[in-house]
Amino acid sequence: MTAAEIQGSGISVRGLTKSFGSFLAVDDLTFEVRPGRVTGFLGPNGAGKTTTLRMLLGLIRPSAGEALIGGRRYADLSSPMQVVGAALEATGFHPGRSGRDHLRVLAATHGIPDARVDQLLELVGIPAAARKRAGDYSMGMRQRLGLAGALLGDPDVLLLDEPANGLDPEGIRWMRGFMQHLARDQGKTVLVSSHMLSEVEQTVEDVVIIANGHLVREGTMEELHGEPSTLVRTTDPAALAAALDRAGIGSAVEDGGAALRATTGDLARVGDVALAAGLPVHELRPLRTDLERLFLQLTEAPEHRNRNLAGGELVGGDPDGAAPPVRAAGDGPPVGQPAGDGPARAGARHTDVPAPAEETR
Amino acid sequence: MTRLVHAELRKYLTTRLAWSMPLTMFLLGGIFAAVQGLVLVLLGEIPTGAGGEVIRPSELFDDLTLARMVYTGAVQMGYLLALVLGILTMSGEFRHKTITATLLSSPRRGSLIAAKVISLALVVVLNSLAFIAGSLLGGGITLALGDAALFPEPVELTTTLLRMVLVLVLWGLMGFGLGVLIPNQVIALFVGVGVTLLIEPLLGFGLTFVEQLADAARYFPSQASTSVLDLFAGVDEQTAQQMGAADPLTWWVAALVLLAYAAVMTVLGWVVTARRDVS
Repeated sequence: MTAAEIQGSGISVRGLTKSFGSFLAVDDLTFEVRPGRVTGFLGPNGAGKTTTLRMLLGLIRPSAGEALIGGRRYADLSSPMQVVGAALEATGFHPGRSGRDHLRVLAATHGIPDARVDQLLELVGIPAAARKRAGDYSMGMRQRLGLAGALLGDPDVLLLDEPANGLDPEGIRWMRGFMQHLARDQGKTVLVSSHMLSEVEQTVEDVVIIANGHLVREGTMEELHGEPSTLVRTTDPAALAAALDRAGIGSAVEDGGAALRATTGDLARVGDVALAAGLPVHELRPLRTDLERLFLQLTEAPEHRNRNLAGGELVGGDPDGAAPPVRAAGDGPPVGQPAGDGPARAGARHTDVPAPAEETR
Repeated sequence: MTRLVHAELRKYLTTRLAWSMPLTMFLLGGIFAAVQGLVLVLLGEIPTGAGGEVIRPSELFDDLTLARMVYTGAVQMGYLLALVLGILTMSGEFRHKTITATLLSSPRRGSLIAAKVISLALVVVLNSLAFIAGSLLGGGITLALGDAALFPEPVELTTTLLRMVLVLVLWGLMGFGLGVLIPNQVIALFVGVGVTLLIEPLLGFGLTFVEQLADAARYFPSQASTSVLDLFAGVDEQTAQQMGAADPLTWWVAALVLLAYAAVMTVLGWVVTARRDVS
């Protein structure tokens, strides 16, 4: 990836800081969003995600630092809607104006024809409601209308603030597919914020995790998942460990000595080694990182404990880790509970949470 | 800039305000011009405060002055509505949180405000036409019933009507400045209408007791607006004073005074807006 490409449509946040009075909403935040990828911008409610996005878009003046899109400030873009599309939470619509007219007003600022407006209404799936007053729209329709507004200028960069909020499960699935379509088929750079990792983990390639205005973690989803490993249960774990060691596979005791965790994703090889060693295999399955628990560990670590919760009660992960209820900040409504269909949580009774030692702070 | 103005005009034209405001302008213009005609032409007597004297307008005023007064009889309603229109232009964006989408599509706030000022002026001119149509209808009926000339000296009368458009536009701009300064729509409306209907008359009345400041009331928005219309051009000074038009400003000076109010409020509002965080 050349520097020119990054210049083209990447996002660069450097030393970004915003204080509202004595409240430090965003504190010396630095991260990069690579062009052509879907990046999840994650953190509990009140972590500073929306403030950061609004600073990127020139709606809020940073106290210090800068937030650039394609190397430029938003206000310096000559046709901003053709470079960046943003669907922010709390974007209002005049209740008496139709959804179509809302888009037509935005379109007029960039000389975009009505045909494009109708095309987008079709694309986001609300052509029938387009001529009704926006005051009568459901939350899902408002989200779709906001998305249509973001896409009007066919921008290379999309900023989506909690796009799944208020959507029903069908809407969430639609939104996921839509984001994947935008990124994979159209090569757009997408930065999508969420307070739930599970909501975006199948969609995003990179993550930027913040808590209390600080950067907690930045990297790819693979890095977050950590090394692949396998759980194997047998009658004599010690003997199997020795056999695995001879085969060049590291292992560690798991589940109170009743099982082993082999540091490989190759289940067949583990099974072959056990067979060769004459040991029965009672259980053999891949161990996946429980990302939700990792997310909570990262964002609820004592130094990142949510400043917005008076008691600071720590939401402990269920030790069994079986699809823990998502209560990232304890205050949000449980919107869009994951359907539990992801491989990450399939039978994740034993979870493997790498210590957050490599925290980037 | 043309595109931004286009977008702002579209904003106005896509809500109910697009037809409800001209309709209100037309109706109120008609009703209040008719009331003025009723008093000046049909009843034909105006009691003044001083010793039960009565002014008989038809004896004192020529046809032109009479027609002017009738056709501009609703001007206070007109400029109040224009003020409301101006306030809504900006504070409506905050009320409905459309300001975010607006600023995303036009992030340069100076250009945005300029585009809003231009489109507002156009919108007020359009509404003024409805207002004048109503005034001509309502006032014309009473003039006709009172056997007064309907449209004497067309050039002078048209000039007066054009000046009424100017007054309405200037009040629209003052409302805009107010709306930019006070983003809370309810408070902005309350302050705008309250100052015009209550504070200004009271203050003007109070100032008559202070000799050094007695002239200051001429510079108040309502009185300056009357000066712009120059209604008492053909009336002798004593009568004019009896009718409460003491020593008015020259019409264009009065227009500049109104423009100055609008400009000061808009510039103050712009300075605030340019730095304001929108969240």
